[in-house]
Amino acid sequence: MGQVHVPLTTAFRALGIPVVPPPPTSKRTLSLGAKHSPESICLPFKLTLGNLIECLEQGADTLIMPTGANLCRFGYYARVQEQILTDLGFKFQMVRTDLFGSKILGVARLIKQLAGDAPLLQVIAAIRFGLAKLALLDELEREVQRVRARELEKGAATAAFKEAISAVEAAPDPVSLKEAFRTYSERLRAIPGDAASAPLLVGIMGEFYVVLEPFSNMEVEIELGKLGVEVRRSLFVSHWTKFSLFLNAFGITEKERLHRAARPYLSRDVGGDGWESVGEKVLHAAHYDGLVHLAPFTCMPEIIAQNIMPAVNTDIPVLTIVCDEQMGRAGLATRLEAFVDLLRRRRSRGRALAPSGASHS
Amino acid sequence: MITIGIPRALLYYHYYPMWRTFFTALGGQVVISEPTSRAMVAQGAARLVSDTCLPTKVYCGHVLSLVGQCDYLFVPSVKSIEANVYNCSKFLGLPDVIRAVVPHCPPVIDVDIDINKGQRPLYQAIYQVGRKLTWNPVKVRRAALEALEAHSRYRTMMHEQSLTPIQAIARLYGEGEPGPSAPSVPSRGSTVAVIGHPYVLYDEYITHRILQRLLDLGVRVATPEMASNTELGLGVERLIGRPYWTFEDEVVGAGGHYLNSAVDGVVSVVAFGCGPDSVMLEVVQRYVKRHPTHPYMALTIDEHTGEAGLVTRLEAFLDMVKRRKRLASCV
Repeated sequence: MGQVHVPLTTAFRALGIPVVPPPPTSKRTLSLGAKHSPESICLPFKLTLGNLIECLEQGADTLIMPTGANLCRFGYYARVQEQILTDLGFKFQMVRTDLFGSKILGVARLIKQLAGDAPLLQVIAAIRFGLAKLALLDELEREVQRVRARELEKGAATAAFKEAISAVEAAPDPVSLKEAFRTYSERLRAIPGDAASAPLLVGIMGEFYVVLEPFSNMEVEIELGKLGVEVRRSLFVSHWTKFSLFLNAFGITEKERLHRAARPYLSRDVGGDGWESVGEKVLHAAHYDGLVHLAPFTCMPEIIAQNIMPAVNTDIPVLTIVCDEQMGRAGLATRLEAFVDLLRRRRSRGRALAPSGASHS
Repeated sequence: MITIGIPRALLYYHYYPMWRTFFTALGGQVVISEPTSRAMVAQGAARLVSDTCLPTKVYCGHVLSLVGQCDYLFVPSVKSIEANVYNCSKFLGLPDVIRAVVPHCPPVIDVDIDINKGQRPLYQAIYQVGRKLTWNPVKVRRAALEALEAHSRYRTMMHEQSLTPIQAIARLYGEGEPGPSAPSVPSRGSTVAVIGHPYVLYDEYITHRILQRLLDLGVRVATPEMASNTELGLGVERLIGRPYWTFEDEVVGAGGHYLNSAVDGVVSVVAFGCGPDSVMLEVVQRYVKRHPTHPYMALTIDEHTGEAGLVTRLEAFLDMVKRRKRLASCV
């Protein structure tokens, strides 16, 4: 999912555990996953199942799959996927980790267990190095989102970011990691752009997986960039790990603001990211020109959010895009173009925007 | 007298006797919506996003029919009724969705039922519901105990006398639709288990009276409520281990139980796009593939399901059940 494999492979490699890097999520991943999945399951299940099959094909013998209670179907994924893979005749061991219950200590324990009892300090160092890579990648991605909307030669930022990912992943130690980061942030800044333009600002929100995995949303951010739209999102993996793994353990949560904003309309957690989606609509009306709401097909929490959103009477257009394997690129592009047209017209009619610096996070 | 509206949908089939006992014990009057009709489904569906599952659309239709008929609307948010087990988002967000989409909605009594938070919040939640009718906590407590008693009587009744919820409710209160009546054809000795959530199975409109049809075709019907809690628990244990969903019993549990019992066939009925069922049914179906002891059919329904198609599939399935039985008796 997104660049989440980078910190994981880094941490495992540093401890000498052989890692099978999953081939990047592709059409093949999707068709493998969709073929063996239940009919009306959501897209993240199909894609993760496809990823697991491709890992097993390349010789992996241990699969790690997070589970947990109080989520949505996601908490049930590992059990069903284990049965599906066993029925397909694969031999493997499935490690289910309750990431949400046990936080960072659980992760450390898990990695220690897999590393055959490496010293704890070494484990911690490995995890820290992995997370540092993740944080820098996310920082680069934020810059990419900004550059994409302004670049004169479309695609330059995306190409630079692709190289940056492999460079960061390959970096063997903190020094070369910093070096790679500096090189690529300079390269991004050097991309010639239209400095005078004030691009439309669109917030991306919705279900965690389809927001973070570009393949699953047909690279909606790149498509919007091509249309000259600057994309913002509050969901980044590094941000999420920081809170879910560390700070939540101390009762600090980044989502409190979103929940408080959503409360008049949706007063309780409905699993998944439904509560947050409603909150985003309430909070960001003043900062963004529009919102793109991404949800997998049949996603229960997002359907609840979608039902409630029209009752939220903040003045901001929302485009809900339902993602599944039947999605077509041309159809998506047309919808995005129409949406962007609408936003342009709204802006030219003089809807006042708060200064863009005042945005969230 | 204060009237409390209860929609005849979703958790009605699980908890109606309990809720009714509670509210009447506190001096309230309970108003139930009429059985599901085409107009209700259409109106409910028109108010919600099209991706919403059929049972929720039906529920919304029932709520719309209660607008103006009652002082309060009882829409609980049931999160868990067992430790470490959670529920589908549609049950959690139900009160909020209803408030957002139903115009002129009567005040909603929404209450969080979550065992995982501990006993105290649960008692507080119950008191909060009773508070609409009386300030007296002792009275609320007495009503709650009475309601609990009524609920266990209802469950035992269905299990011991092999009744469906509709039949049990009709016997308890002499009201509502009588549900599947005595078979018009004498039973020819086959028993078919029908598994699924009660709010799907017993809504005669959305399932096109599937239970009655089976009875009319001379088949005995077994439903999840007719098995005991222990049997259902064992079913879950056998197929998946620890339950994850609040109503896992009704699909995985009933599947695991009936696929290891003496019934002649198993039919699952689920609503299209149901989140929990998409994974739970997969577990049942994989079990069937690994242990092909019983004929099995999966029916998926939505508001477009054609009656004729459903009947054809049902008849074909029963032919298979019969042939298989004849074959077995020859051997």
